[in-house]
Amino acid sequence: MIAAAAVCPSPPLLARELTGRALVLPELRAACASAVTRLLAAGPGVVVVVGGGDATKSWDPGDRLDLSAWAPALGRRGTPGLPLALGLGAMLLDAAGYTGRRILQAVGAAEPAAACLELGASLPAEARRVALLVMGDASARRSPAAPGHFDERAGPFDLAVEQAFRDGDMATLAGLDATLANDLMATGRPAWQVLAGALRAGPAPTGEVLYADAPFGVGYLVAVLD
Amino acid sequence: MSDESAGPREPGPLRLRKSEFPPARTLIMAIVNRTPDSFYRPGITWDHQKAMERVHEIVAEGADILDVGGVPAKPGDEVTVTEEIRRTVPFIEAVRAAYPDLVISVDTFRHEVGRAACEAGADLLNDTWGGWDPRLAEVAAEFGVGIVCSHAGGLPPRTRPFRIAYEDVMTDVLEHVLSLAAKAERAGVDEARIIIDPAHDFGKNSWHSLEISRRLGEMTATGWPVLLSASHKDFVGETLGTSVDNRLAGTLAVAAVGAWLGARVFRVHNVTETRQALDVVGAIRGDVVPARMIRGLA
Repeated sequence: MIAAAAVCPSPPLLARELTGRALVLPELRAACASAVTRLLAAGPGVVVVVGGGDATKSWDPGDRLDLSAWAPALGRRGTPGLPLALGLGAMLLDAAGYTGRRILQAVGAAEPAAACLELGASLPAEARRVALLVMGDASARRSPAAPGHFDERAGPFDLAVEQAFRDGDMATLAGLDATLANDLMATGRPAWQVLAGALRAGPAPTGEVLYADAPFGVGYLVAVLD
Repeated sequence: MSDESAGPREPGPLRLRKSEFPPARTLIMAIVNRTPDSFYRPGITWDHQKAMERVHEIVAEGADILDVGGVPAKPGDEVTVTEEIRRTVPFIEAVRAAYPDLVISVDTFRHEVGRAACEAGADLLNDTWGGWDPRLAEVAAEFGVGIVCSHAGGLPPRTRPFRIAYEDVMTDVLEHVLSLAAKAERAGVDEARIIIDPAHDFGKNSWHSLEISRRLGEMTATGWPVLLSASHKDFVGETLGTSVDNRLAGTLAVAAVGAWLGARVFRVHNVTETRQALDVVGAIRGDVVPARMIRGLA
């Protein structure tokens, strides 16, 4: 069964080494740390990190992010090619001191909703108590300064997702329009739909949103579902 | 190279006053001249109060070292030892009282001035005229302070180069400054307090200064900390065809190349601009962690 789930965004700037001397977005970092702490408090037998990648596949649990892809000066460490979302999820677990069993599960960026839901539905069987750490981002078109510039549909889209987390409303996540999500550069869509697939068979979870903002024009959502 | 030259060494910390600066750390030596007639903005800090205000500024801007000079490099009215001391020493005393930890350098070619400056609290003897007075090194040893070993092409202080030629200017520079460094060590100066300086424009035409800029890596390869003093100098102006007040960009270019090649101390008039240039070069080299990186990472 799914004992608990946490949702965090996956911007590279979450990796402390990438932002230089400045500690960027301390509130976001604190919210992510808090979400992971609460996730681990559920006493899971396994933590499944779910995040978008080029293809749907699981990675070795020992894999770690290779920051040199973003900052060559930092030198090559970790696993080249490990998807950012999985690497950051692993980083959050490491930061929380988690040393138990983990699964790093990538879900392909182009994966249709049905495949995502199906993948999610397979996850509760991984252990008696499974924790999901779902790494995904909302729209990157929230403001004129955003990476994808401004799109007026971005705000409402992100708000709907935020509300779905708040309400534990898995049906809304399951029904997200992949084309619209792509247009809005909301890369979290496949991972969120894996979450919906994992949770929608059980009782509706209680949701709490710990962070919802777009300080650099990319929507960041941190939530806990249990 | 003569047997009396200091050989190559492992780059180590540069010790100034109570601080130790690692090789990757670039230091800014800010110029505050107690002269009425230095070449750049003559007389701007001739007044004691103006000079103190300038010190407050350069400290606030993050200068690591203050360099106080009482005699202009160019020929002109004689400045006696007594007059040079009168210009520099009370000022050094005042700065020392105001800033107990600031590294203070005195730009002088005379041991009498060096001694009085050390008694007033100076930490470094900037012997720009290339060891014209060998007793300066003895003073540095006696007071446990540092010394800058420079190359002035054998010219006496306050003279201009006249048709000066070198078979190889960098070879001449290296022979001379390493010989001075060896002498300073033998005199008892702490080796971690010895700096070498090619001295741009001193005993050099502008081609020579460009050459030593280009080949500064040969100096840094010796392992001795290298000081680069090019701020607003004639070789920058002649290269650009600009007057003395329009040489900042050229000065920064020389500093950037020097930093890339490993120079560690930069004697300048403009602290903020130089710090920025050095920090970018440091970040390119991987020696400086950038301030705040967001672009493409959100």
